[in-house]
Amino acid sequence: MSGASLERGIHAFKEAIDAPVASFFSSCVRCGLCAHACLFFTETEDPKYTPIHKLEPLRRVWQQEYTFWGRLASALGLSKPVTDEDLADWETLVYDSCTMCGRCSMICPVGNDIAYMIRKMREGMAVAGHAPPGLIGATQRAVTIGSPMGVKLPALQAQIRQVEEETGMTIPVDVEGADYMLLLSSMEIMNFPEFIGALAKIFDQADVSWTISSNAFEATNSGIQIGVSEIAAELVQRIVDAVEKLKVKYVISPECGHAYMAIRWEGPNLIGKPYSFKVVHVLELLDELREQGRLKLSSKESQRLTYHDPCQIARRGGVVQQPRNLLNMVADDFAEMPETGTMNWCCGAGGGVSSNERADELRLTVFKRKKAQLDAVRPDAIVSACSNCRIHLEDGLEKYAMEIPVLSLTETIAEHLAEKDKSGE
Amino acid sequence: MVEIANDDDFRRLLEGLDTAGQRAVAAHFVDNVLPLSGDDRIRHVTEIIAKPDAREDDLSMAFHTARTVTVDTHNRCGAECDWQDQAGYFVARAALAAVTPADQLAGGPAFQAAMSSRMARTCMGIGTAEDTAGQERQAQYRILSEFIQSQE
Repeated sequence: MSGASLERGIHAFKEAIDAPVASFFSSCVRCGLCAHACLFFTETEDPKYTPIHKLEPLRRVWQQEYTFWGRLASALGLSKPVTDEDLADWETLVYDSCTMCGRCSMICPVGNDIAYMIRKMREGMAVAGHAPPGLIGATQRAVTIGSPMGVKLPALQAQIRQVEEETGMTIPVDVEGADYMLLLSSMEIMNFPEFIGALAKIFDQADVSWTISSNAFEATNSGIQIGVSEIAAELVQRIVDAVEKLKVKYVISPECGHAYMAIRWEGPNLIGKPYSFKVVHVLELLDELREQGRLKLSSKESQRLTYHDPCQIARRGGVVQQPRNLLNMVADDFAEMPETGTMNWCCGAGGGVSSNERADELRLTVFKRKKAQLDAVRPDAIVSACSNCRIHLEDGLEKYAMEIPVLSLTETIAEHLAEKDKSGE
Repeated sequence: MVEIANDDDFRRLLEGLDTAGQRAVAAHFVDNVLPLSGDDRIRHVTEIIAKPDAREDDLSMAFHTARTVTVDTHNRCGAECDWQDQAGYFVARAALAAVTPADQLAGGPAFQAAMSSRMARTCMGIGTAEDTAGQERQAQYRILSEFIQSQE
């Protein structure tokens, strides 16, 4: 990100315009349907938040560089080149008012993946020097320290020690040949360390062989959020190296939305080769254990629960049915909000928006959409599977004076788990 | 004095307390880590929880205040961690647990308040060789033991 300039930004835009991006731009029929899929538009009714409009500088570069009429117009001096001022104007549209939730991509009648295009546009914005300071700081810490929040190994070790004391279990670290390697988000380590204990209890009951790597425990990838593929690839490679060192078969992506998208779906493309291991989301694994009869509960949740689908896990990740299977196992009264699963509304804080203090007012404004969904169900508690969603849901509920606790699905299951049968029968 | 050797004993004794007892001992746990929070609102919440004759209205207000402080003090995603600030977040969580209805918390309010208080100490000890959480655990055993004796 050093040496940022307009020239580098435009160059990155040109590089970012691959075949899908070019075909998406040429397919757009300007219908505006994407606006009504975006909570930043629906909750503000400001047309500047129309998703395809957020891509206008990238579209202009595509038109001027890669279309016959655009190139002719440029040659004749009839088109306006993209300027640094344009990018400065678009910075808030690309980073503050887009969570890359992908709902616009679902709704586009010609199948344009607008979220993918935003991801590509961020490549140029970052090297042109038009990324939010919060995200720049997080990305620098991810590279130098290994965590966007600056969480170092001693901090994880301290949290692990306390979890071990609380649960009376040993948290396996650097165990060679374990089946699963668990990744964690810094948010879990800092704000919800009980997640580690919850998973330890579940894995103990289900006899899952697992470990945490001291070399690569961080699941998140701020290189993807800010839009710098080189950094994103470096962060993925650290995990790949740790997996190869420990010789594990599976990597578990934790309760974090974008971590799953980064390590499972973008990872192999970023490093340019397939993995020698499989990546599973923690909910996929828990549902598999449920299906195999390896999760035994001693009680069920009697409260009315609803589930907030983290966008990167459900819409962009495909993990939709698994949390529902788990909730129906653990709760007597599970109620769906209107528009859930792949069409769920984002909480408003994904895609780096929560790291960006400048976007605070806007993300809380657009929370009105989630409020409306919750008002329709009136749950006693909201369950989710992403620490970032969880924190933002708490922020939003506080802002709108809604008294609904927010729970982790993994922790909820652990809370109702039966004592392990130690008889060996 | 009641002997408390480990967390199993600790948890069992806490679960034997009635709601008022749980809240009272939870208030002591929070009070013991209060210097780790710079937030006066939590000090006020602790004062309310500690009153044996606290009114329902006051407890309800204390619950709302503790929840607000918890939301205000969490470390935001992507922000650089400050473990001293994070200790304040866990003190707020301890206070929130202390005033949350018993049926909404696994292990009960006092146990959860104890765990969050230890986590607050853990945050303060990160980067040092000191077993801060262990010291807090021993302090909690002593607090509970004294509390039980005072009830006899």
